[in-house]
Amino acid sequence: MASTKGQRLQFDLDDDDLKLFCEEADEQIELLDTSLVQLEGEPDPDLVQQIFRAAHTLKGSSATIGHKKMASLTHAMETVLDAVRQGRRRPTSDVVDALLAGLDALRVLADEVVTCIDSGIETARLEADLHAVLESHDEIEEAAPAEASGVAYRLDPEQVEAALAGMANGTSLYFLEIAIAAECQLPSIRSFQALQEIDALGQVLATWPERDQVEAGAGEFSLACFLLSSQSEEQLQAAIQAVTDVQDVHTRSVAQEDVDQPLAPASQPVAASAGAPGRPQLMLVEDGAPADAARGPSRKATQSVRIDVERLDGLMNLVGELVIDRTRLQQIREQLSAVLKDANLTELTENFEETTSHLARVTDELQEQIMRSRMLPVRSVLTRLPRLVRDVAAKCGKKVELVTAGEETELDRSVIEEISDPLVHILRNAVDHGIETPEERRAAGKPETGLVTVTAWNQETYIYLSVKDDGKGIDTATLRRKVAEKGLMSREAAESASEEQAIQWIFLPGLSTAKQISDVSGRGVGMDIVRTNIERLNGQITLHSTPGRGSEVIIQLPLTLATTKALMVVANATVYAIPLVSVTEALADHEADIHTINGRKTLRLRQRLLPMIDLARALGDGRPRQMEAGRFVVAARHGERQVAFMVDRLLGEQDVVVKSLGDLVGNRKGLTGATILGDGTLGLIVDTASLVSEQAALATPA
Amino acid sequence: MATKAEPTTELAGQPATEEHVVIFRLADEYYALDIQTVQEIVRMQTITSIPGSDLWVEGITNLRGRVVPVIDLRKRCGVDAGEYSTETRIVVVSSANGMVGLIVDAVSEVMRIPGEQVEPPSSIVSVPENTYLRGIAKLDERLVSLMDLEGVLPAALEDDLAYAASRAA
Repeated sequence: MASTKGQRLQFDLDDDDLKLFCEEADEQIELLDTSLVQLEGEPDPDLVQQIFRAAHTLKGSSATIGHKKMASLTHAMETVLDAVRQGRRRPTSDVVDALLAGLDALRVLADEVVTCIDSGIETARLEADLHAVLESHDEIEEAAPAEASGVAYRLDPEQVEAALAGMANGTSLYFLEIAIAAECQLPSIRSFQALQEIDALGQVLATWPERDQVEAGAGEFSLACFLLSSQSEEQLQAAIQAVTDVQDVHTRSVAQEDVDQPLAPASQPVAASAGAPGRPQLMLVEDGAPADAARGPSRKATQSVRIDVERLDGLMNLVGELVIDRTRLQQIREQLSAVLKDANLTELTENFEETTSHLARVTDELQEQIMRSRMLPVRSVLTRLPRLVRDVAAKCGKKVELVTAGEETELDRSVIEEISDPLVHILRNAVDHGIETPEERRAAGKPETGLVTVTAWNQETYIYLSVKDDGKGIDTATLRRKVAEKGLMSREAAESASEEQAIQWIFLPGLSTAKQISDVSGRGVGMDIVRTNIERLNGQITLHSTPGRGSEVIIQLPLTLATTKALMVVANATVYAIPLVSVTEALADHEADIHTINGRKTLRLRQRLLPMIDLARALGDGRPRQMEAGRFVVAARHGERQVAFMVDRLLGEQDVVVKSLGDLVGNRKGLTGATILGDGTLGLIVDTASLVSEQAALATPA
Repeated sequence: MATKAEPTTELAGQPATEEHVVIFRLADEYYALDIQTVQEIVRMQTITSIPGSDLWVEGITNLRGRVVPVIDLRKRCGVDAGEYSTETRIVVVSSANGMVGLIVDAVSEVMRIPGEQVEPPSSIVSVPENTYLRGIAKLDERLVSLMDLEGVLPAALEDDLAYAASRAA
């Protein structure tokens, strides 16, 4: 077929439809992205159903707008998923690969709807691949029907304990399957009645569907349960058969040693009459939560509206202004009360003070609320990771398991956008450089499959993300050699540095420790870029590593980028804001332990020697000094480096709203922007990262 | 408001219909800026200087919540810089690089100059590094230099633009 790339495409939708289509497509593609990887190996029927539904939805919406290629590709994917769902095909890795390839193409195709330009992507081959995986194995292995068909009933460990306890007391454990007549109009009510009847017969340990669902009227044409009862099978049968519309009751007595084994459904009537075609059959519910999630938003019923991000940004800006006005009002209040104290106006001043402090509280609250409304769970970033780990691991021939935790941790959407790339980079490194090959791991006495854990959590006004692997740790010997070879440090200095220091060299620009440059990571533009990006967000990145045991990278970020907590200082009559994340200590210089070493002023602080830097001069302020320098010392860190800034005065902590200096002034060395102060004038925000590393480097004799 | 491609350098001296300008004074010289580029005119206010910036970049100021860079036009145009007075104004203009404040000694008037009164600058003065004069208007007793806004602004730090934009909150 001749390439149609670049041609204009036309779709059958207006702007509103386009928005809807994009939102829906994004959602479904995202869902496929997360869940397809999990499909491999472990065919949880719930998940399969969810994936199938996503593909089906995409097929429907793309067909509606007349996107033939997309509809036809989703159709092919749906066919494969249907086979998996019905247990005709196991989701082996070739199946998942074909589906993932399809998914990648879907993204491009969905973008075509926005751009209206043919991307020239070829779907015919992908569709052929999908058909091929289906043909290659048309049958399912008979050996494990319960697992393979995806329907199995099993007690969880707690229930197993209860069952064993009951059996020790002389009751028997039964597995019951009840089928409701297909012609029944109200299967949910009958399920409920049957469950009540069963409750009367003994102790119900577990039900499918779950008890909550049955009681909420979500029961279907079949019901299964484990029951501890002292009655005989016949008595049970008779009692349950008595419920109207119960067509069939299948009972099985479960032996003590089989208590924790999964049970397959009885082959006849139950399954046959189970609901409408295409519906999920009985579900294996592990702990309730996944099933709820699968059922979609109708069940979660939190009330929400979609808001345009721009509108939220606008609100956030307005609140920023309000915060500034609040601070300003408070200053005016102080000035006023000083003036008015003499005049006999106490009542008036009190009223005024009350109102301003109330306004301050409301503003704080408003700021908090709006900030919250911009927060998203970090999940959206974490969900992309399993796929990445799978691909990277496959490329480097490693076995890696990824565990994520803290998906609910919320952070500002602007931070989420920025954090994704660094996180992906760190994760690639962990898999590519950290985790060893299966052979190496075996030789080291570790399990063949490496473990990478990504965890997110909140602490105070920061969010932390940790990427931890159980690989070989950082090879400091190689680092020492590389650093010397590349002339970044003398050989002696490289050899004599402590392990702790050497590990930090991974952040040096132009250094790659991988023995071979792979296409996965390591072109020498690695961790230094990551660090720069994190610091641009006012964050910090730290690294720990134990040889043979693995490494951990921890990223610390502010919850929001719109405001920053800063220490306000004055240096040579200019107000500067030093982001609090980098400040370790602030003290008056008469309390500070200051020494002169090699003619340089040096601060001794907690067993460390910090070079002392005149803040104004370091920033290039060449004006005559307006005040005696160095009345206060602010210790700031950047990674492992620390310096002490000399300033004239400390003004205290403040939330500052970061504003750009503007294009004309451009990117000033050592400054990240400006902020409006309480009196309406401007303060400058110090870029501690660049300043600390520059000054620390100057101070260290080469 | 984006800067419209109003009469620019190429049109200098052409019998353009009319120039609608704001006239201001730097020491004892008169200059004019196209009124389309002028956003507002404010009294002198506190300016925070930025360490290490160009001499004629006076600093930044807070214009109702916006951070606006300010340029001292006297220093830019090589006119003797005196003290600021009660007449000193900041002319806020909208340039290709965003809003910029220009410090002038006084704003005198807004007027329309007929095209035939404008002459190209080369016929009267020939300053080699003239990047900002696009014409001279002869009005009664005085000469008014028509200023090209983009020319008077420093060649913005092009390389840093994308970076600075990415930093913008």
